[in-house]
Amino acid sequence: MFIKSIKATFIRDWITQLRAYPMHFFIGNVLTVFYTVLGAFFMYHLLFQGHLKESFEVYTGTTDYMTYVIIGSLAYALVVRTLLNVSRSLVTELRQGTLESLMLAPFSRLGYFIGNMLQQMITSLGEVFLSMIFCFIFGLSLSSINGVTFVVSLVITLYAYFGLSLCLGAVMLYTRDTYISQNTLFLFIFLVSGVIFPVEYLPQSLNIIGACLPVRDSIFALRAAVMNGVSIESLYTTYVRLFLLGTGYFIVGYSAIRKIERIALEKIFG
Amino acid sequence: MIEAINLKKTYHTKVKKGLFKREKDIVEAVKGINLRLEQGQIIGLLGINGAGKTTTIKMLSTLIKSTSGEIFIDGVEINENPLKIKQKVNMIAGGERMIYWRLTGRENLWYYGQLYGIPDKVLKARIDRLITLVGLNEKQDVPVERYSKGMKQRLQIARGLINNPDYLFMDEPTLGLDAPIAKEIRAYIKKLAVEEQKGILLTSHYIHEVEELCDYIYILDHGEVILEGTAKTLSESTFETKITVLELAEINPAIEATIQKFALDEKAVIHEQTHAHIMRFESKNELTESLVKLIHSEKLPLSKLYVEAPKLEDTIIEISRRVSI
Repeated sequence: MFIKSIKATFIRDWITQLRAYPMHFFIGNVLTVFYTVLGAFFMYHLLFQGHLKESFEVYTGTTDYMTYVIIGSLAYALVVRTLLNVSRSLVTELRQGTLESLMLAPFSRLGYFIGNMLQQMITSLGEVFLSMIFCFIFGLSLSSINGVTFVVSLVITLYAYFGLSLCLGAVMLYTRDTYISQNTLFLFIFLVSGVIFPVEYLPQSLNIIGACLPVRDSIFALRAAVMNGVSIESLYTTYVRLFLLGTGYFIVGYSAIRKIERIALEKIFG
Repeated sequence: MIEAINLKKTYHTKVKKGLFKREKDIVEAVKGINLRLEQGQIIGLLGINGAGKTTTIKMLSTLIKSTSGEIFIDGVEINENPLKIKQKVNMIAGGERMIYWRLTGRENLWYYGQLYGIPDKVLKARIDRLITLVGLNEKQDVPVERYSKGMKQRLQIARGLINNPDYLFMDEPTLGLDAPIAKEIRAYIKKLAVEEQKGILLTSHYIHEVEELCDYIYILDHGEVILEGTAKTLSESTFETKITVLELAEINPAIEATIQKFALDEKAVIHEQTHAHIMRFESKNELTESLVKLIHSEKLPLSKLYVEAPKLEDTIIEISRRVSI
């Protein structure tokens, strides 16, 4: 049942995405990365004239701001797309009137979400890798990349994002809102996770909150793999933290969804 | 067999009081319902909006949990093994919900079949059979968004049968459908009970539909069963008078006078008809015997003589009237 649920949901989402949002949506997401990087490019070159504070190098260990921003933006695009799809899955079922028929079946919830996540992961990674092509124009450098560390970082990143997306999904299903909840979280992630500037510049309180989200560690790990080519061992602590955060979010999100889906079904009739 | 014993459901809701204030409210949607459904049988739940029909169906189909009471499906309590129960039941709702519009009819059935863990070979054969059963062969590979209302409803029926359930709950299955399609759907429902031995629980606002299909009817009001029985017994227990209809081949003033005298003697009321030769007698007892005697003694030109069973619709209207009083 578990494997069947993964496979069926993966194929269903794949077909739906191809039929509902063919190339436009794909291109739209690539353009989002393009615009974010373009904005950073203009700020860096036109506003700051290519100058960075000395503390930037102290905090990040690099002076290559464009690569720093590009990796951050690509990771941000990945988190947004993953969260967007997995979190919205059940509330979308509710809105399109398929939640009841879904819940009638004895399917595996975990399989359903994994299928959903896998499909989204392929699409999102496709978008991210396509975005990387024009990112080279803006100065992305992969000369120091450690491929193995990058892949391991990516896998743990996706796991952590999956856990977070279940939590957001529970909130969305309970409130039946997608717009306010997702945009608030995305803005918050953008601010506190070091997407375009080092988190050390943030006030202490925001830093503490930012550390509770897995996005900061995932961006740190991906940057370390791409920009500094570090080994897996040197990121061990980051991986453990990412794994624990992801697992924590997964446990909270998954158990909350199980309860909230019943509440959601009752709300339809209550 | 499905047996629901003293089923209750209470919702905790919040009611708006002013712009920001909300007060908690408790709604007793179902207040102790008992019902039984056997395989091959069609039972109906009737009642006005808010009577508790849909909530009852949701509880029976495992979608929501009852606040108290028990549901046994083939001897297994519903909460004991919900996964096993889910294999035995399914639900079909009216309207255009419960199917994915971006997928084709076949893809929809495949997806739901996978969620039920049906082996691939079995599933393929079942999908083929169901598509033929509901007459969607030509449109099976067309996305549902291009289906007509009737086609979507037929696909819903196929979806409801994908796990080959023993019991099927149908919530307004012909809602908003054109008369010919609704008739076709009713024929399917009958066929499912008779030929496939499915136990079917049906709710509908169309009383004639319930009358036509259901072997047994439960009438709900404010979450309680206020009356139950067959369409015939419901009418008998509701109406104190009987209607006997006499149709004559011809009528003349002499016959009219005889009939009037008969009505007076039997303390019956004659209801006016569009045709003078058809007379409806309303009385406490059936008048067939005494009318037969009258026809013989007066040599009346008889065309038809029968007792008119009250329509279920009249029964419901009468019950609603009494409840509202």
